[in-house]
Amino acid sequence: MQDNPVLSPKVAGLLLGLLVILATALVKPFGVSTQYVVTDALVLHKTAPTLAESNKYIAKYGEKEDWGVGYGWMLVFGMFLGSGVAAVATHRFRQRKDAAMSEMWTAQFGNHKAKRLVQAFIGGMLLLFGARFAGGCTSGHMISGISQLAVGSFVFGIAIFISGIITAKLLYRKRAGS
Amino acid sequence: MKLLLGLAIGTAIGAVMQLGGASSYRKILGALLLKDMTIIKLILTTIAVTTVGIYALDLVHMAHMDVKPTYVVGIAIAGLIFGVGFALSGYCPGTCVLASAEGKSDAFVTLIGGLVGAALYALVYPFMGTLLNMTNYGEITLASVFNVTNGIWIAIPFSAILLLLVFKVLKDRYE
Repeated sequence: MQDNPVLSPKVAGLLLGLLVILATALVKPFGVSTQYVVTDALVLHKTAPTLAESNKYIAKYGEKEDWGVGYGWMLVFGMFLGSGVAAVATHRFRQRKDAAMSEMWTAQFGNHKAKRLVQAFIGGMLLLFGARFAGGCTSGHMISGISQLAVGSFVFGIAIFISGIITAKLLYRKRAGS
Repeated sequence: MKLLLGLAIGTAIGAVMQLGGASSYRKILGALLLKDMTIIKLILTTIAVTTVGIYALDLVHMAHMDVKPTYVVGIAIAGLIFGVGFALSGYCPGTCVLASAEGKSDAFVTLIGGLVGAALYALVYPFMGTLLNMTNYGEITLASVFNVTNGIWIAIPFSAILLLLVFKVLKDRYE
């Protein structure tokens, strides 16, 4: 199938592991979700400085001096570049007729792009609300956290798979008469 | 200098994850429906390699560890919320960045939703004290709980179990 991965999960996992080890040796373990707050802080410090300063959480990020764009933000920006280059190099950029719609999704829900985008938006809100509440996401908790044998990261990993599996099964339950 | 280092490591990570299929809606939902083991195998292999690597570095005091605090109830609730978002969007906070770079507009919308979700958390943060402090055991690891000085002795058998799962136990189940 056209979007079968180029690398096997074992090879990709080995390479990704080596990169996370390198990051931990040189700087710190790998994490993504903090950078969403940094980005929010950058925007808020510029557009609504009073609000940004008054919020205890936002005030911790995006200092006026360097706008908070540090190592971690550049890492996530790099991920964007790396993925784009890899997709273009392997001819996987925008190969679907409509890149917002996975065939798997349309087979279950029909060809309703607006519905898919609303679902993706709500999903994104829940993802980052949960990740900031937990203090990390799939990268910071699941990969870096469990790799440090952190107990809280095991709790997070188990919880996301329990609710992720239940939600996925509910979304993709067989419809009556189909 | 550190900015360039971040950019370089991030670019490599992004390329490897994209080539491994981590930015695919079909692969992520396949994992949550327990039909397609690609993403599970990718994550477990990564953890197996990284755990041994980090604790080997730790033996020679070269690991910059950053263990997050364990507030059991809060993290469990947060994880349950995250899981719903994971299945709804088909992405996680990192993979929606990767998929946005591939031109997938649902992933870009997930990213925007994520920025809003993080801002919402900032708004309610002043009221989260109880959940963040309740059952908070601090920065504990399996090594500290079991009083093991060199975590590598837990890391090696733990990684071996994960690799056994990846190579021998987990199989795709497409009917």
